Amino acid sequence: MKWRQFLTPAKSIDFNQTESYISQHSGEEITILDVRQPSEYQESHIPGSTLIPLPQLSDRLDELDPEKSTLVY
Amino acid sequence: MLAGKGFKKVFNVAGGIKAWRAKTAIGPQDLGMDLFSGKEEPLDVLKVAYSLEQGLYEFYISMGKEAKNEKVKDLFSKLSEIEVKHQMSIYTAYNDINDEELRKGEFEKMVETKALEGGLSTREYLDLFSPDLNSEIDVISLAMSIEAQALDLYQRLSSKVENPQSRDIINQIANEEKAHLASLGKLLDSL
Repeated sequence: MKWRQFLTPAKSIDFNQTESYISQHSGEEITILDVRQPSEYQESHIPGSTLIPLPQLSDRLDELDPEKSTLVY
Repeated sequence: MLAGKGFKKVFNVAGGIKAWRAKTAIGPQDLGMDLFSGKEEPLDVLKVAYSLEQGLYEFYISMGKEAKNEKVKDLFSKLSEIEVKHQMSIYTAYNDINDEELRKGEFEKMVETKALEGGLSTREYLDLFSPDLNSEIDVISLAMSIEAQALDLYQRLSSKVENPQSRDIINQIANEEKAHLASLGKLLDSL
């Protein structure tokens, strides 16, 4: 069995790369996705983030645009 | 999960929010959303945006009066001037799409100041950030926090507003806030 087909790893980018990516793209081109719990989001989040807690993500994927670059934290 | 569902470019932000060293926004996802119903036409969006800028302008003016340090006074004055420029561009955009050209006074009569940019009141911002009003660094940091909050609000609103032209206007304002945030960051670095 080829396990690799079940693994879809996303590329990791650090703070500098993330900040630079966000500054070089307009809000319409990217989604910053916060998958933490609402209380964590409320305390502090990257400006412009969309909150979809991880347990709800599979049911709410239609709220996101797959054509946009998605930065997840 | 996303990459396997057809999302074209997915990046994992390493370290998450703990590694994020730039300004963050606070509050629940619906903070400030009561300012918009989501049904606004482009002209309505511009009126609300103008009122938010007005709120921040008044905030900077009142803070400038409280500050004792001349450099800080000057800084608040510059920050308020930036808001005036934002307001002018909103007013110009309004006249560009309105059927008849309104004088600034007439336009302002239709605008009701509701909250600061970012959906929080003056007192809420001061309680949250407790800036030292004699410190330039504190003041710029406060302004950056407000701009981050404003950027956050506009980007959340963008997904709520239905009219595509209204959405474009909100995105454009959000991009201006982002540029403003970046320029404040450079100013902070220069101190």
